[in-house]
Amino acid sequence: MATTHPPHAEHEQGPAAMRYWVVWVLLLVGTFLTFGLSRVHLPSPFHLLVALAIASGKSMLVVLFFMHLWDHPGANRLVFATSIFFIALLVGLVVMDNATRYDLLNPARGATLQMEPPGPDLLTPRGPPEPSRRLDTPGVEEGTGPSR
Amino acid sequence: MSQSLDTTPPSSADEPAYNPRNYLNAEAGAMSWLLTRDHKRIGIMYLVLTSVSFFLGGFFALLVRIELLTPGPTIMNAMTYNRMFTLHGVVMIFLFMIPAIPGIFGNFFLPLMIGARDVAFPKLNLLSVYLYLIGAVIALYGMIHGGADTGWTFYTPYSTTTVTKVVPILLGAFVLGFSSIVTGLNFIVTIHTLRAPGLIWMRLPLFAWSIYATSIIQILATPVLGITLLMVAVEHAFGFGIFDPARGGDPILFQHMFWFYSHPAVYIMVLPAMAVISEVVCASARKNIFGYKAVAFSSLGIAFVGFFTWGHHLFTSGQSTLDAGIFGILSMFVGIFTAIKVFNWTATLYKGAVVFTTWFAYFCGFLFFLVFGGMTGIALATVSLDVHWQDTYFVVAHFHFIMVGGVIMAWLAALHYWWPKMFGKMYPERWGIVGAMTIIFGFNATFIPQFLLGNYGMPRRYYSYPERFWPLNVASTAGASLLGFGFLLIAVYLLWSLKWGKVASANPWHSRGFEWDTLSPPPVENFLSDPIYTHPPHDYTEVPSGAAEVKHAT
Amino acid sequence: MRPEPEAATAAYVAHHFPDLRTQEHAARLGMWLFLATELLLFGGLFTAYSVYRYLYPATFAEASQHLSVAAGTINTIVLITSSLTVALAHHYAHHGKGRRAALLLLVTLGFAVVFLLIKAWEWSHDFHEGLLPGRYFHSTELTANGAPMFFTLYFLLTGLHGLHVVIGMTVLAVLMVLCWLGTYDHGYSTPVELGGMYWHLVDLVWIFLYPLLYLI
Repeated sequence: MATTHPPHAEHEQGPAAMRYWVVWVLLLVGTFLTFGLSRVHLPSPFHLLVALAIASGKSMLVVLFFMHLWDHPGANRLVFATSIFFIALLVGLVVMDNATRYDLLNPARGATLQMEPPGPDLLTPRGPPEPSRRLDTPGVEEGTGPSR
Repeated sequence: MSQSLDTTPPSSADEPAYNPRNYLNAEAGAMSWLLTRDHKRIGIMYLVLTSVSFFLGGFFALLVRIELLTPGPTIMNAMTYNRMFTLHGVVMIFLFMIPAIPGIFGNFFLPLMIGARDVAFPKLNLLSVYLYLIGAVIALYGMIHGGADTGWTFYTPYSTTTVTKVVPILLGAFVLGFSSIVTGLNFIVTIHTLRAPGLIWMRLPLFAWSIYATSIIQILATPVLGITLLMVAVEHAFGFGIFDPARGGDPILFQHMFWFYSHPAVYIMVLPAMAVISEVVCASARKNIFGYKAVAFSSLGIAFVGFFTWGHHLFTSGQSTLDAGIFGILSMFVGIFTAIKVFNWTATLYKGAVVFTTWFAYFCGFLFFLVFGGMTGIALATVSLDVHWQDTYFVVAHFHFIMVGGVIMAWLAALHYWWPKMFGKMYPERWGIVGAMTIIFGFNATFIPQFLLGNYGMPRRYYSYPERFWPLNVASTAGASLLGFGFLLIAVYLLWSLKWGKVASANPWHSRGFEWDTLSPPPVENFLSDPIYTHPPHDYTEVPSGAAEVKHAT
Repeated sequence: MRPEPEAATAAYVAHHFPDLRTQEHAARLGMWLFLATELLLFGGLFTAYSVYRYLYPATFAEASQHLSVAAGTINTIVLITSSLTVALAHHYAHHGKGRRAALLLLVTLGFAVVFLLIKAWEWSHDFHEGLLPGRYFHSTELTANGAPMFFTLYFLLTGLHGLHVVIGMTVLAVLMVLCWLGTYDHGYSTPVELGGMYWHLVDLVWIFLYPLLYLI
C-alpha cells in the first residue's frame, strides 16, 4: 500500500510531515519558556501578560499547523477569529465591571472565611447561610434569617 | 422567464396542479418520518412540536392572566403563581421562540431558496429534532414535578438555593441549546457550500441572509448559556458556590454570563422574523426590495451589535456605572440597523401593487408593533429612565410587543404565506382575515394596558397588586383571552384546510421568491432538474405572462 | 482544477453535494463552527476565572502553590506530543497509509491515558488535603476568602476538560479501528482530520489552563 501510487497522488501532497515535528519542538520550547519565566517572579501584571502571550503563541502554532488553518484560508479563519474576539469581549467587559464597580459591591475580600463543614449528603438543598455566619453584616439579629 | 428551471408556475387561469408525488406521500409509515433526513419533513416535525409548545406556553400565560384578574389571590397561591410565570417564560422562549421560525421555515425553505437538494448535514438536522424532543421531555419532567419558581432568568442566589425542581429545567434548556447550535451550524455550512451555480452571495434571498445572521448568533452565544446553566445546576446540587456571596462568589457574574446569551437570543428570535418579512414585503408589493444590500448587511449588523448590549439587563443590579454607560450607548446602535430595515421595507411598499391578504395583514401588524416596541426599547436603554421602569410591566410590555407583536406576527405571516407551498392547499382567506384582526386587536388590548401599568409603577412577577391597578389588569386579561381565542381560531381553520381546503397552484401569490419555482407541495428531491440562477432574488422587473409550460415528473 | 479521481471517491460523496471537494470543505467548516462553540463553552468558565482572579489575586497565587507544577508540566508535554501524533496520523491516513495512521492513533490514546492518570493522581492528592470545591473545602492551611473559589474553578475547568479528553479518546478510538481496516486509504480521510481537530482543541484549552492554574 505504501509503494503503489494512491489515486490522489497527483494533486496536493499536503504538508510534509516535517513541519509537524518542527511545530512540536517549538511548542516544547514555549512550555519550558513559560515555566521558566514563571519562576522569575515578574512584577504583576507582566507575569500574567507574558504567560498569556506565550500561550497565545503556542495556540497559534497548533491552530495554524496542526489544524491546517495555514492551508485553508477563508471562512474557517473567520470562524476561529470571531470566536476569539467574542471570548475577549465577554471576559473584558465583565472584568471591567468588577474593576470599576463601587468596591463594596464586590464579593468580600480580606476577611477570613469561616468554613462550613461538608453537608450530611450531596443533595441536601442548602438554604442561605444563617445571618451570624455572614461575613460583613454586623449586628444582624439572630432568628431573623431563614432556617436551614 | 427569469430562471432556467424546468418547472415554471402556471398562470392563475390554469387548473391548480397539486403535485401528486410530493415529500408528504413519498414514503409512508411512522418510521419514514422518525428516521427521515428530508429537510422538508423535518420542517413539518418542527411545526408540530413548536406549535404544541406554543399552546402549552399560552396555557401558562392564560393562567397567569386569570390570576391577575383580582388584586388578591384568584385561582392559585403565590408559590404556584411564581411557577406559572416561570414555566410560561421557559416554554415560550426555549421551546417556541428560539426554534420555531428557523426550525420550520429555515429547514423547509432554505435549501429550496438556494437551489440545493438538502441542507449540508441532513443527519445532524434530524439529530436537532431529537435533541429538541429530549430537552423538552427533561424540562417537562421538571414541570410536572412542580416546576421552578425562579423566573426563566434563574437569577442566583435564589436559583441555587430554591427547593423547587430547577435542575431538570436547567438541564432541559441545556439540551435544547444543543439543538439550536446544530441547526445554526447546518444553516451556515449550507449557505456557504450548497448554493446552486449562479447564486452568488449578492443574489441570496434576504430570508437566507437573516437566517445566516441568526445562525452566527446561535453558534457563538448558546454555549455560554450552556455553561452558565450547568454551573447553576452544579451549584444547586453540590453547593460549589461560584455565585454564592457567602462563599466569595458574585451573583452578578451569573447575570453577566446569562445575558451574554439571552440578549443575543432575542435577536435569534427576531432576525428570522425579519427574514420572513423581507420575503413577504416583496411578494405583497410585487416590487423588488428597496436597498437589497442595506437589508442584507443590516442583518449581520444586528447580529454583531446585539452581542455588545447585554449589560442593559443589569442596569439596576449593582453593575459599575462605567459599564452601564457603555452598554446603554451600545444598546441604541441596534436601533439603527432595525431602522434601516423598517425604512427599506416601507420604501419597498411605496408605489407597489399591494393585494391585502392575510399575511399582508400580519405584515402590517409586525411593522407597527416592531416600531412601537422597538422605540420603547431605545427608551429603556437610557439608564436614567430604566431606573424607574426596570422590573415593571413597562419592560414586560416592551418585550411582548417585540416577541408577540413582532415575532409571532411574522410567524403567522410565514405560516399563511407558505401554507400553499408546504401543503398544496389554500387556507380560507376570509377566516384568515378574521383571525388576523382578532389577533391584532387582542394583542393591543393585552399589552397596551401593560405599558400604562408599568409606567404607573406596577412591578412584574408580582402575585398581588394595589387596587389602583385593577382596571388595567382586567383589561389586559380580557385582551389576552381574545388573543388566545384568535390563536385557536387560526389553528382550527389551518387544520381544516389540510383536508378540505382549496387546492393550491404552484405559485398562488405569483411571488418571485426562488422557493416558488417548484411544485406545491415540493417533490422529495426539491427540483426536477438542477436549477441555475441568472437573476437577482425578489425580481419583479419581468412580469410572468400567459400560460407557461409545466413539465411534470414521470 | 486538479484531476478528480471520480471512480475511487465517488462512493463517498453524499447525494446532495455536487462533488467531494465541496463536501470536504463543508465538513471542515462544520467542524470549525462546532469547535467555536466549544471555545465559547470554555470561555464562560474562563470568564468566571478571570473575575475571581481579579478579585482574589494573592489568594489565587497562594492556592496555586498547592497544585503540583510537575504534574501540570508533564501533562502539558504529554498533550502537546499527543497533538503531534494525531497530526501525523492524519498525514499518513491522507497518504493512504492506514495502518501507520492507526498505530499513531494508538500512541495518541496512550498519551491520553497517561494524561488522565496524572490528573486522577492530582485530584486524589487534592481530596486528601481537603482542597475541594465549594462547601466541601476544608483545608487548614488555606483560609483566605478566595481559596475555595480557586479550587471550585480548578475542578470545573479540569473536569470539563477531562470530559472532553474522554470524548476525544472515544472518537479517536473509533477512527483508529477504521484506519486499521483501511477505510480511509482510498482518497477520503476527512473523518480522521475532523477527529484530529477535536483533539487539537483539547490540547488548545490545556495550553491556556496550564499557566492560568499552575503558574500563577
